[in-house]
Amino acid sequence: MIKFEQVSKTYPGGQRALSKVDFHIEKGEMAFLTGHSGAGKSTLLKLISIMERPTVGRVLINGHDLNTIRRRDIAFIRRDIGMIFQSHQLLMDKSVFDNVALPLIIEGYTRKETTKRVEAALEMVGLSDKSRSLPITLSGGEQQRVGIARAVVNKPPLLLADEPTGNLDPKLSMEIVRLFEDFNQAGVSVFIATHDLGLIARMRYRTLTLKQGKMITDGLTDSDLEAD
Amino acid sequence: MSILFKGRRSGASDTNISLLQTLVMVLVSHVRQALHSLGELWRQPAASIMTIGVLGLSITLPSTLYIMVKNTEKISAGWEQASEISLFLKTDTSPASAQQLLTRLSTWSEIDSLTYVPADDALKEFQHLSGLGDAIAYLESNPLPDVILVRPTEKFAGPKAAESLLQKLKQQREVDIGKLDIEWLERLYAVLDIVRDLVTLIGGLLFIAVVLIIGNTIRLNILNKRDEIIIMKLVGATDAFIHRPFLYTGFWYGLLGGVIAWMAVILILWWMDSSIQAFAALYQKDFAITGLSGSALLTMLALSVGLGLAGSMISVQRHVKEIEPK
Repeated sequence: MIKFEQVSKTYPGGQRALSKVDFHIEKGEMAFLTGHSGAGKSTLLKLISIMERPTVGRVLINGHDLNTIRRRDIAFIRRDIGMIFQSHQLLMDKSVFDNVALPLIIEGYTRKETTKRVEAALEMVGLSDKSRSLPITLSGGEQQRVGIARAVVNKPPLLLADEPTGNLDPKLSMEIVRLFEDFNQAGVSVFIATHDLGLIARMRYRTLTLKQGKMITDGLTDSDLEAD
Repeated sequence: MSILFKGRRSGASDTNISLLQTLVMVLVSHVRQALHSLGELWRQPAASIMTIGVLGLSITLPSTLYIMVKNTEKISAGWEQASEISLFLKTDTSPASAQQLLTRLSTWSEIDSLTYVPADDALKEFQHLSGLGDAIAYLESNPLPDVILVRPTEKFAGPKAAESLLQKLKQQREVDIGKLDIEWLERLYAVLDIVRDLVTLIGGLLFIAVVLIIGNTIRLNILNKRDEIIIMKLVGATDAFIHRPFLYTGFWYGLLGGVIAWMAVILILWWMDSSIQAFAALYQKDFAITGLSGSALLTMLALSVGLGLAGSMISVQRHVKEIEPK
């Protein structure tokens, strides 16, 4: 599903964010990406969503080389990737319903279909009763769930999450991760970047660890990760 | 359309709907965005009114000048018809050769009609009108020449055409002097030409100014919506989708500005009408000022909308591209 081939990224100014990263996440797999701040997690996710382009190497999604994607096609690529952000990225002056409906309106769904899908997505994240509220009136955990509902509302085959549990307490974090597990069970590939090692330790999922731009471990969680 | 995942259906193609339904949906979404843009203008009345006002007044000035030129042309068109060439024949011309000349001239296509005034008739008329009466009877011979009044056809009544006709007439051997009193008309036309050029120039400059003003206003709108644009790009909005509300804003600016210009023109004409009537009365001319015709009005509105759209197009092309999620 996601394949990195000898990917390096150097930002203008010489800052080396990733060097020769190689990995492959299979279709329907759920994996975590971890590492300290500045290890290159965000850069790696940005290469998948084409917010940045690799300096060297290839990033492939479902066998398609992202280097060959033209600028004007990027929008269509992003419709296939559900993205979840630490900062939620919600429209604060629009209702929860309108926020979740945004990807569907962009894709030109009918009003009826939009309503149906948005309600289903809000149901999944347990916010059915908040659809008319403004995001500003919701708690951090609820806002994050609105972001998740928006990411899954058009049923993308791939979910990317950047620090989705960043500001949440362990209990809420666990609820969010359970949500991702549900989507994963429905066949969606899920890739989560987090520095919340405690969260990862409680589960047994494949974990990729970055350190100073290099991939240092790739495999199941083990105890030495927590020591790192 | 999915590039990465063949067979993944999305959006309008997800459910089986007819082409008609798709069209209706596109239309509905456009109407919704248009109304939304109008609503945005409504929510910031002060800023919107200023922009619309600038646009409206910028179009009012050239429109009013255009009407002035149009009306001046209309008045002078009446005078133009009156242009008449007087041909004074040589004194030794016999009545027979004068008749010959008349016959010759009557075949010219440039000439509408001819009036022959023999010297004797002219003297009688002069005697009658001048009040010199019997004094004229003491003249040994008639000092007046025979005169032919030539009225050119409409096509040859303009200053330039009439002038060339005059030159041609002067070459006739019977003709002594030809006179075409249209120098003042030529001057008026020259002035009108300059005024028309000025109107075009002023109009052009103001239109450029309008495009720049709208462009800048839209640029500020885009910067204000920076966060929203980033979010839309993150969830897969194309540039065209993001452009659309701003283009509609430009459209509304143009339309409303055009309506303001229209009202301003009506107001100006109404205000000037009485003074123009007084002026026309001095010349005993029945003259009604012509306003904007239906098609001119539509042109004005279309122009205004066009300027609004042009300004916003330039702005979105430049600035939406600059905003990328980081």
